[in-house]
Amino acid sequence: MVRSRIRDPSLQASTAADPAAVRVAFEFILSATFWLLIGTAAGLLIALKLNWPDFLDVSWLSFGRVRPIHTNTVFWGWSSMALVGAALYIVPRTSRTQLWSPALARISLWLWNAALALGLVTLAGGVTRGPQEYREWVWPVAVLFGAGLVATGVNLYQTVARRGIAEIYISNWYILGAFVWLTILFVTGYLPFYQNGLGNIVIQGYYMHTAVGMWFTMLSLGVAYYAIPRLLGRPIYSYALGVLGFWTNMLFYTVIGAHHFIFSPVQWWLQTTAILFSVGMMVPVWTGAGNLLLTFRGSRSAVQRSYALPFLLVGIAFYAIASMQGTMEAFRTANIYWHFTNFTIGHSHVAMYGFVAMVAWGVIYGLLPRLSGREPHPVAVGAHFWIAFIGFLVYVVSISIAGVLQGFSWVAGESFIASVAAAEPMWLWRTVGGSLMAASHLIFAWNLWVMRPRPQAREAPRLEVAEASA
Amino acid sequence: MNFHTNHRLLVAFAAFGYLGLTYLIAIGPAMSLQDTPPLPGAQVRSERAEAGRALYLAEGCGFCHTQFVRDLPMDQPYGRQSLAEDYALENPPLLGTQRTGPDLSDVGRRQPSKTWHLLHLYNPRAVVPQSVMPGYPWYFEEKAQATEREVTVPVPERFLAAPGNVVVAKQQALDLVEYLLALRQVELGL
Repeated sequence: MVRSRIRDPSLQASTAADPAAVRVAFEFILSATFWLLIGTAAGLLIALKLNWPDFLDVSWLSFGRVRPIHTNTVFWGWSSMALVGAALYIVPRTSRTQLWSPALARISLWLWNAALALGLVTLAGGVTRGPQEYREWVWPVAVLFGAGLVATGVNLYQTVARRGIAEIYISNWYILGAFVWLTILFVTGYLPFYQNGLGNIVIQGYYMHTAVGMWFTMLSLGVAYYAIPRLLGRPIYSYALGVLGFWTNMLFYTVIGAHHFIFSPVQWWLQTTAILFSVGMMVPVWTGAGNLLLTFRGSRSAVQRSYALPFLLVGIAFYAIASMQGTMEAFRTANIYWHFTNFTIGHSHVAMYGFVAMVAWGVIYGLLPRLSGREPHPVAVGAHFWIAFIGFLVYVVSISIAGVLQGFSWVAGESFIASVAAAEPMWLWRTVGGSLMAASHLIFAWNLWVMRPRPQAREAPRLEVAEASA
Repeated sequence: MNFHTNHRLLVAFAAFGYLGLTYLIAIGPAMSLQDTPPLPGAQVRSERAEAGRALYLAEGCGFCHTQFVRDLPMDQPYGRQSLAEDYALENPPLLGTQRTGPDLSDVGRRQPSKTWHLLHLYNPRAVVPQSVMPGYPWYFEEKAQATEREVTVPVPERFLAAPGNVVVAKQQALDLVEYLLALRQVELGL
């Protein structure tokens, strides 16, 4: 991939996009990358703490406080901001118009950055709503984040409403859907009126599951539905499959949160429905993944020459793998062996890293050079890809084996500490994989900086256009 | 009715469809469970134990310890199957999704020693050499001499900064242990 890639000497910054919108989209991606580095450091620290539990034993760096910092920072900081940054460019482009309000986008960006920073400080200080995954933030932090979410949603909706073409491109279905759904699920997760006792757990299953399924999955697919055909220079395999995937994702994904609490006192019908609909998830997953993979069909040489497409191809493949894994974990028999184990940690990294992060990188490497006119060094992108990919595989394989060993130890009725001892060597391998992932993120941060848009690079061609039309 | 050209319709349909499903599988079932009364004989926790529970939340203990016993053979060491009633007074309930450490639903009965818990919280490896649990030394104080009213913890010498020192529990450590000892499943009397 790297050897055959030559830089494109004719690459120039796009003149179609509004420079103010490009600037704010880049600022989103830059912030995302900052939070990626923070979130990665947090992740690496807690991995090390399972190897050496007395390493850095100060209160605000203890495992139980840093774990939610890791998850919330990579969720709401890295993944959300990176994908929204891409969406801020893609939605106006595919709507043949300009972003409704770059100023509002910048306000949203700083609301989110403020939420992330305040969230980090509060969680480190032990100010938390307790171990309710992805809604550990206390309400003032959640309000900041929610305000930024609604503001960006309105901004993108108004952009689509002012589109220059009749049709709403499929990417915009997914992106607008993601904003509508995250707003609803975020509010549902924080309102207290139905969350006493076990009511809280019903909401928790719904919340943590749809946060992934209705936000990250939809945003990732939305930007992929633009980037993949754009980079391959061909239309998507089937537009209709994209529409089918959209509605079936809403129907199936929404209903399956209770599969996180199988064998619990939550209503048995709800658990069974969740398991059945987990099987139904195969419909949107294979329409989405199949559709995008078929778009790649016969484009081997394009993938080999591009430094962005390998990320996207791997991302879509892991979308399918993560989803099938999720369906299997929902079955009661498999759940006996896998639930409560580290297999779940492996699964969440397959989804959030193998799928979401890979898609985000593919889109950033694919689009940003077209906006800024500046390419990263292909060798550096290749290094990012391979170190991230190999690190990720080492991480996921080792942590999944750890999960299986834990599960078998428990089923065999051994004493609890035997499951810790069994997982221990795998936790070392997990740290090795995680270190590689962290190293690749530093390379990515460097590449991003090389790709940054510079004001003069964009304005020169615009002047020519103005002169020509004058 | 055309979703392809009408953005209002598209967004409204996505919003109301999702709201409907949210009500059916989340808000509705949550409402019907949230008023489950506690079991007869359930104890209201002491003020100190409540303070301990707040620390349990702040330190993220629930990321590694479940309080959720399933009707499965592997869960038998942890107590009886958890019921909706067990969580009636819990806000938030701490069922959990990971068992990097053992379940704690009934730990007060399984491990009733206050000294063991204090030592374990100070440094888990003082009692379980292979443990990977973090210690919580910031809830303790190491000093040359304890006063009469302070609770000392029999920490082995190799965990001390200077030989001859004593470790005393701060109020937070005592509260946390109070909470752990209060974790006892209500007996069903079956």
